[in-house]
Amino acid sequence: MPISSFYGLQTSLRGLLAQQRALDVAGHNVANASTAGFSRQEAVMAASPAYVVPASTGTGAGAHLGSGVDVLQYRRVRDQFLDLQFRAQNTRLGYESTRAEQLDRAEVSLAEPSDSGIASQLAAFWDAWSDVANAPQDMAARTALTEQGATLGESFATVINQLKIVADQASEEYARLAGAGGEVELIAREITSLNDTIAKFVSAGDSPNDLHDRRDLLVDQLSKLGRVSVQPTTDGMVEITFGDAAQPIVSDRTMTWPQALTDPDGRLGALRDIFKPGGTVEQYRDALDGVALSVMDAVNGLHTSAGGPPFFTATAGDEAGTLTVAVAPSGVRTGATGFAGDNGLALQIAALRGNAAVDGSYRSFVARVGTEVRQARTQEANADALATAVDNRRQSVSGVSLDEEMANIIRFQRGYQASSRAMSTMDEMLDVLINRTGRVGL
Amino acid sequence: MSTRITTGMLSARVLDDLNRVSERLTKTQTKLASGKEIERPSDDPFGASRAMVLRENLEGVRQYQRNVEDARGWQDAAESALARISDVVQRARDLLVQGAADTMDETARASIAREIDELTASVKEFGNASYKGQFVFGGVRTDAPPWPSTTDVHQGQAGTVARQVGPGVSVQVNVDIAGVLGDGQASGDGGLLHVLRDIATHLRANDGESLRGTDLTRLDDKLDQILDVRALNGARSNRLESALGRLSELEEASIAQLSQTEDVDIAKAMIDFSSQQAAYQAALKAGANIVQASLMDFLR
Repeated sequence: MPISSFYGLQTSLRGLLAQQRALDVAGHNVANASTAGFSRQEAVMAASPAYVVPASTGTGAGAHLGSGVDVLQYRRVRDQFLDLQFRAQNTRLGYESTRAEQLDRAEVSLAEPSDSGIASQLAAFWDAWSDVANAPQDMAARTALTEQGATLGESFATVINQLKIVADQASEEYARLAGAGGEVELIAREITSLNDTIAKFVSAGDSPNDLHDRRDLLVDQLSKLGRVSVQPTTDGMVEITFGDAAQPIVSDRTMTWPQALTDPDGRLGALRDIFKPGGTVEQYRDALDGVALSVMDAVNGLHTSAGGPPFFTATAGDEAGTLTVAVAPSGVRTGATGFAGDNGLALQIAALRGNAAVDGSYRSFVARVGTEVRQARTQEANADALATAVDNRRQSVSGVSLDEEMANIIRFQRGYQASSRAMSTMDEMLDVLINRTGRVGL
Repeated sequence: MSTRITTGMLSARVLDDLNRVSERLTKTQTKLASGKEIERPSDDPFGASRAMVLRENLEGVRQYQRNVEDARGWQDAAESALARISDVVQRARDLLVQGAADTMDETARASIAREIDELTASVKEFGNASYKGQFVFGGVRTDAPPWPSTTDVHQGQAGTVARQVGPGVSVQVNVDIAGVLGDGQASGDGGLLHVLRDIATHLRANDGESLRGTDLTRLDDKLDQILDVRALNGARSNRLESALGRLSELEEASIAQLSQTEDVDIAKAMIDFSSQQAAYQAALKAGANIVQASLMDFLR
């Protein structure tokens, strides 16, 4: 069977079309070079099925005559394994950066070192006792002492209130993120609807690359808020579990949210660790209560041993928040004998300055907070470096390189030009055949 | 497989590097502006805790210095009162010698007795010396005059009044002169007031024998006792003086240590600052160049 004269035209046409598609893809890549979450695509070309020349004819018997090229698929260049790694690191980064940010705020509320912090108020309190020891019968010195005692109590209460604000705001933010209508829900809702759309295309045999990109980007965002795990189901849809929620947050076309979380990890987990019962802020408050209690016990112990009333009073369990002076200036005892000039007791209390159980316990609390903030920052830097490294590897695979796309564009342009040259050559050939053949002598 | 560098990675890396360098630059700048190495406990938890100890020590030292000043004021008040009492006793002794002379008649002795009464009153007055409203010779009963004008009996209460002049170091500031001045004639305790009252009585009684005899020796004894008390007060003053010297050394040492812990080493920070600035400029330049060029510049 003879081969059609127009066969070559078809082959060139396939070439033209394929190179054009490849150029389209390069154009798409370049256009999306800075789109977040975009994965570069490539037109996968393959030689189209060859025309088998029947054996019975003379020339080229039994040969497979190439018929040009086809675009098999538009491949999305993506490494799912790197996605897994990135999300794990992103969850950790979400946790560590939020923890560092929250602890930073707690540290600021201590206002140390400064002239208004508890440490300097405590020093001023011992000074006031010393001044009373110098002039026990001077009502001005006694008034200054009870005022300074009140100021000390207030500075404890201020720090406690600041810590409470930190915890309250963390709790509010947690509710805003994880509650109904929050960011988690918005992401989950969009993933659910993407699942639906993707399933429609996939069941029709399509590969909706850009929708996959969008869904992966949403899962990335979700992974910053908490731990995620993604299971592919049917028709390109996914099931996503979030944190330690009992039900998958997204299962194909259904969303189950809000759900209760106890240890979600990520940003939500860090916020929870700040405000939850027994969490960081509560530990700090307990530690401050301990300091306030030791101040109260040390001063009251001496003050009552000399027959006086308790100097400080506070509600048990909230010592730092409620530390107040319980005596009037005239009720301050300066000595055991009760004579105006007896300053033995005032001297003893003033000598508490620098005491390990009182000043020391506050100092070690400040050092503890400082160390924890420092650790959190180091952890954040580590997590950031790891997440960046994984993201770089992912970008290395999926990111758009403009240089590469330019090179490709040249390549496809040349391919297109060459295909059209082949077509024109074919055309000239046919021109000879159709218009000039058989016209000898005309 | 070599890493494929994409355009996005390039610009992200440039931005990341710029951020990192400018963050360091800002930190150094803050340090230079505030002059403090430790702005927050987390900058250096150990250093911050050390700085708190030093700050507290310094605050304590300054309070001890105030305490020493106060103690010295007290002792100065006591010393000047004791000096005046010595003068008064000296004057009384002169009068006694004068009044004891055989040539003195009854009227002359009576007028000397009146003067002795006056001197007795001024001894009591100096015994009531006070410092900042506290009677320095009343023991721990500092709020009432120890020798009120109505009675010669000492109204004070024996006890120690001390000042804290160092960590765990207290110095007693009051001296006890209740024994020296005594409780007056009625008590018969041989105190200064008793002796002076006796002298006046003997002058009025024209009893030259007693005046020449026991009164003079008793008065001389009292003068010696007052000198002893003044010596004790002076010795304590010296102790306070040396405590003050030690405290100012301590203050200087604490300030130096605190500065070492807390303050920025300006020279080092300046060098850091300029090298970071150079790094920042280099990063800017490199970033500007690397992001600008692309294959497109070389294709026609």
